[in-house]
Amino acid sequence: MNLLLVEDDEGYAATLAEELRALDHQVTIAPTGGAALQIADREPFDAAIIDRLLPQMDGTAVLRRLRESGKMLPVVMLSALGRSAEKVEGLEAGADDYVVKPTPAAELDARLKALLRGRQWTAGGGGDTIRVRDITVSPARFRAWRGERPLDLVRLELNLLAELARNAGTVLTRAMLIERVWGYDFEPTTNIVDVQIRALRRKLMADGEDDPIVTVRGVGYMLRD
Amino acid sequence: MPALRSLRSLTLAFLAAFLIAVALTGFATHRAMQRAIVDLVDKRIAAISDDILRDSPPGDARAIAAHIASVSRERDTGDIGMMLSDARGRRLAGNVRLTRPLPRGYATLASSDRIAGLSAGRALVRDAGGGLTLTTIAETEPIDKEGVARGRPYLFGFGAIVAIVVIGVVLFVSLVSRRIGEVRETARAIIDGDMQRRLPVDPAGGAFAEQAATFNRMLDRIAGLMAEISNVSNDIAHDMRTPLARLRGRLALIARRPEAARLHDEIAEAIAQCDALLAMFAATLRIAEVEGGDRRAGFASLDLGALVAEFGEMMAPVAAETGHRLVIGRCDPARVSGDRQLLSQALMNLVENALRHTPAGATITLDVADTGNEAALTVRDDGPGIPVAERARALRRFGRLEPSRNRAGHGLGLPLADAVARLHRGALTLGDAAPGLIVTIRLPLDRA
Repeated sequence: MNLLLVEDDEGYAATLAEELRALDHQVTIAPTGGAALQIADREPFDAAIIDRLLPQMDGTAVLRRLRESGKMLPVVMLSALGRSAEKVEGLEAGADDYVVKPTPAAELDARLKALLRGRQWTAGGGGDTIRVRDITVSPARFRAWRGERPLDLVRLELNLLAELARNAGTVLTRAMLIERVWGYDFEPTTNIVDVQIRALRRKLMADGEDDPIVTVRGVGYMLRD
Repeated sequence: MPALRSLRSLTLAFLAAFLIAVALTGFATHRAMQRAIVDLVDKRIAAISDDILRDSPPGDARAIAAHIASVSRERDTGDIGMMLSDARGRRLAGNVRLTRPLPRGYATLASSDRIAGLSAGRALVRDAGGGLTLTTIAETEPIDKEGVARGRPYLFGFGAIVAIVVIGVVLFVSLVSRRIGEVRETARAIIDGDMQRRLPVDPAGGAFAEQAATFNRMLDRIAGLMAEISNVSNDIAHDMRTPLARLRGRLALIARRPEAARLHDEIAEAIAQCDALLAMFAATLRIAEVEGGDRRAGFASLDLGALVAEFGEMMAPVAAETGHRLVIGRCDPARVSGDRQLLSQALMNLVENALRHTPAGATITLDVADTGNEAALTVRDDGPGIPVAERARALRRFGRLEPSRNRAGHGLGLPLADAVARLHRGALTLGDAAPGLIVTIRLPLDRA
C-alpha cells in the first residue's frame, strides 16, 4: 500500500516507516499537519496513519480537513494517550480506527489491510447474515451453521465467528478481536482470544470437517474465504 | 434538611429564648400596669377618705355620715363605696355593705366579697376617731371584663412581634441553608468531575457574594492544577512512550535481519520486556484516567451479576489452561451505575492476579451478592493469600510483595481495581479466605 504517515517525532516515524516498508508498503513521512495536507493534495494514497498530537495542528483537525477536501481514504489515528474520550473524538472526526502508540507495525499492517478491504470499524458490526464458504452466520438471529449442521455456540463464540466471517480473508489481530468481539478497551495478559478460538475450532470441526480458521503466527487469526 | 442539625437547634434555641423573653416581658408589663392601676386607686381612696375625715370632727358619726352622703352624691365620686362602722363592726352609715371584716390599711376586694357592682377593687380601712372605722372602696376594674379587654392588646401586640420574629428567623435560616446547599451542590458536582461548575455570585455584593467569589477562585486554582497535572501526564505519555516505541521498533527490525537468526530468542525476550514496560505505562495512565473522574460521565445502568457470570463463563477455559478451576458462585442480579469496560478490566485484573499467584489445582470463585443496599462482588482463591501486614502495600502502586517480584505482571492490577471501585463510589477490601485471598468490591446499588 501507498501510505502517508503523519508523525512529528522523527525517530519514531523513521523506525515505524522502516518496519512498514519491511512489510512491503511504500511510506511517505509528513512531520506536520500542513505538510501532510499539501502532500495529500499532490499524490494519491491508499491509507493514512495520523498521529493525534502534532505541533500547530491537532491530528483530528488534519483529519477533518482531509475529509472536507473529499479525501475518503482509510485513516488510522495514532495516539500516545489511551483515554476513551479521545478515542471517541478521533472516531467522530472521521478516523476509521484508533490505536494507542506504540503499536507493532504488524498490528498496523493488519488493521490497514482490514480497512482496505472495505470493512469499517463498527462495534459489534451489523446483524445481516454472512456466508463464507460452507459457514453461515446470522448474528441477528443468534444462529450459525456449518453446511447443514447447526452450530451450538455461546454468544461470545458466535460474535467471534461473525467478526472473522465479516473479515474473511483478512488477518484480525488479537487486539482487534478484543476490541470488536469482547468490547474491552484494555489488553488482558492472559490469552483469552486463543482459548476462545480453540473452543470455536472444536465446534466448527465437530463432524470431522477441516479447520476454516488460519492462525497467522505473531499476527492473529483469519477465516479462510 | 438533616445536614443542618446544628443550625436548626441554634434556631430553635433562639426562638425558645425569644418566646420566653417575650412572655416574661408581656407578663411583667401587665403586672406593672396592674400595680400602677392599684396605686392610682389607692391614692384616690386615700384622698377621698382624707377629705371626709378632715372636714368632720373625729368620732362624730353624724358629721361623717353626712359627708359620706354628699360624697356619694357627687358625680366624680359617685362610684366610691364608703362605710362607717362602730367599734363592734356594726354598720352605721354608707352605701356599701361588707361581708367580711377587713383589717386596718389597704386590702384587695374581689367579686367573692359580693359587693354589688364590684368585680375587683381596693379598700382602705382607717380609724375615724371615737372607735369608729371608715372604709373607702373603689373599683380597679370599673368596666366588667376590662381585664380581658386590657389583655387583648397585649396578645395582639406581642403576638404580632412573635409572628414577625418567627417569620424573619425562618426566612433567614432558609436563606442561609439555601446558600449552604448551593455550595454543597457545586462541591458535589466538582467531585463528580464537572470541573466547570462555579457558584453564582450576587452582583450586589455582601458576605455571601464574597464567599462565593473566593470559593470560585479556589475552584479555578484546582482546575488549573489539574490541567497542569494532566499536561504533565500527557507530556510523560508522549515523551516517554515514544522512545520506548522506537526501541521496540528497532529491536523488531534487528530481529528480521538474517544474521540475527541465532539470537532470535534473546531478541524476542528483549521485545517482550519492552512490551512489559509499555504495559506498565498503559496501566499507570489508565489509573490516572480513572482517578481523574471523567469517566463517570459515561456511566450507565448495568447488571453486575450478569456481567460477572458472563465473564466467569468466558474465563473458565482460560483458567483451565494453567490447571486452575474457575467457579461461578451465586450471581444475584444487581443493578449498578457504572462503566462496563472498567468493571471488566478490574475483574480481569483480579482473576489474572489469582491465576498468577496461586499454584495449579487452586480454585477461584466469583460471587455477586445483593445485600439490600449494596452489591458485593468477591473474587476468592484458596492459594497462599496475602498476610494482613502486607495488604496495605499490595494496594499501593508498584507495591509488589517480595516473592512475586520476579513474576510477570506489573503490580498495578490491584491498585487499578481499587481505583475503579472508588470511581464507582464503592470500595475494595482484601480479606483472608482461610486459606487464600478474598477480594471484595462493594458498590452502591443503582436506585433509579
